[in-house]
Amino acid sequence: MTFLKGQNPQGGPARRTMIAALVAAATAAALGVYRFTNLMVKHYAPTPYDDLLAHLTDREQAARLGAKVTGAFDARREAATLRAALGSRTFTAAATADIAAGRMTEVDGWVLPQTVVLLSALASRV
Amino acid sequence: MSAFLDARTLPDRTVLTPDLAIIGGGPTGISLALALAHTKLNIVLLESGGMNFDPRVQSLYAGSESGVPYTALEAGRLRFMGGSSNHWGGYCRPLDEIDFEARDWVPHSGWPIGRKHLAPYYPRAQQLVEAGPWVYDDSGAAVTAAKGAALELGKGGLYTSWFQFSKTRDSVLPTYFGHRYEADLKAARNVTSYLHVNVTGIRLAADARRVDRLDLATLEGKHFTVKPRFVVLAAGGMENVRLLLASNDVMTAGVGNQNDLVGRFFADNPIPRDVATLVSFAGPLAQYYGANTTMDNGAIMRAVFSTTRHYCESQRNVGSLTTVEPAAELDEAGKAAVITTALALGVDASNARAYSLGCGMELLPDPDRRLTLTGDKDALGMPRLKLHMTIADEDFALYRRTLAELGRQLLASRAGMLRISYSHRDEWMKAMDWGHHHLGTTRMSADPKSGVVDADGLVHGLGNLYVAGSSTFPTCGASNPTLNLIALTLRLADHLKTVAA
Repeated sequence: MTFLKGQNPQGGPARRTMIAALVAAATAAALGVYRFTNLMVKHYAPTPYDDLLAHLTDREQAARLGAKVTGAFDARREAATLRAALGSRTFTAAATADIAAGRMTEVDGWVLPQTVVLLSALASRV
Repeated sequence: MSAFLDARTLPDRTVLTPDLAIIGGGPTGISLALALAHTKLNIVLLESGGMNFDPRVQSLYAGSESGVPYTALEAGRLRFMGGSSNHWGGYCRPLDEIDFEARDWVPHSGWPIGRKHLAPYYPRAQQLVEAGPWVYDDSGAAVTAAKGAALELGKGGLYTSWFQFSKTRDSVLPTYFGHRYEADLKAARNVTSYLHVNVTGIRLAADARRVDRLDLATLEGKHFTVKPRFVVLAAGGMENVRLLLASNDVMTAGVGNQNDLVGRFFADNPIPRDVATLVSFAGPLAQYYGANTTMDNGAIMRAVFSTTRHYCESQRNVGSLTTVEPAAELDEAGKAAVITTALALGVDASNARAYSLGCGMELLPDPDRRLTLTGDKDALGMPRLKLHMTIADEDFALYRRTLAELGRQLLASRAGMLRISYSHRDEWMKAMDWGHHHLGTTRMSADPKSGVVDADGLVHGLGNLYVAGSSTFPTCGASNPTLNLIALTLRLADHLKTVAA
């Protein structure tokens, strides 16, 4: 027995269309879950600091750390400080520069680069 | 005669006339006797206890305290042959050069001798404590080559240094000087060790220039006299003080106390527990951080984070030794700190391990941290001691700064990070323990007005009374004292060979 191209023993063109529709629906559903739920990726409301917060690979953990930052925290002012510190540098470069320059801050006893602390504090407050 | 004699068997009112009387059979007294063994000097070694612990003898050490909580005076030392080496931990490390130096940010600092003066005596001291070949920082790299890489620290104030340990033999823990050197002392024809005898008075000649005699007593009521040419007081950092202050018949303030310095500047190495948490991003640290590691050459090593000279000078800080202790658990905030920081640095911390840190600190000298006599008397009629203990907020603050620097260096190398456990005095005090190193109470000085003994250990103003041991340390550094006090004692032995010959 031989088969024509596009056919198989169990079905014809109608079945292929149905499978394609199911795939499209599943893809749409996945995209929906991705975009409109936190099941796959955490989504955050837009903030004035998204350019800074985008440096955080794990914003949730950063926010958990940032919640331990005590004292007054002026988000707008600290964001300006961060933008100046980061400039065109990567987060890693800014943190490394802090360490080299001794710009360290303690959070709950942890000795941390200032940029990491400010960004974490920002993440916890927006 | 060469022997260990039980003084309780001697006739009452016995008078001994040796060349040298050594008061105290601890590591200092035994090391001195061994160093002078087989010389022409006739030596008596006077030990209050016997060969083993006796609670009745030990209770002679009891005293009272004020100030910050401290170990009971009868608990941190042992009164029998071998002294406190009968319960020491075997930690050995030479003092650093800077420990001997006058530092304008450390009040009352500065020894009249330097590390170079002790250097010739360290090899023999190392033999006496049975710590194997001399490795320490001089060839510590050999340990990392053989036993795994050290935790990398970025450039800064701390470096990986090394303890060595008095050798553990089977079930016998670090060298117990009394038992270990019993045979050697007995083999020395010029040394006689008297056990169960207590010195109750250092009696000066009327001109207060020399020791005329020592009064001795047993707990059973016998009394003896020793009339030596030279005396070395080697009874420990507390008992040295008691004997000097209680011997006040000629010098009313006590022997050597003309400047009110005997008993002042008491010091110990604070060892608060769990001072910090160190996270190693790459996973478990080499074994030599948290446990003793034996090298092929027999040296028993353990890594420790020590401060550099440059750091102490530039940051006006003091020495400290930070040790890695058992593994620790991180709370959620700690995990968040590690994850966030590792991601920021671009480091894989998926195998990170956390460890508790311990430490040994150097206290800033404090003349008000002192031992004085009380009206209470012991079973021999000797006045008991009172210790007023202090530790300053500055002591904690200085060490805290060092921990912060260690944390910065770990981040600089991307090897790890650090959390400091304590911020407030109350937290430090709750974690406090002590090294039981009794230091500084008969401090050494070139100027008679600022110390009790001179660079040779000779009591200022006297011609034949020496003090040996860690009570002569003007500042204590962070290293454990035993190796260092033995080196200093061996130096004294050389001096005595000259002056007493």
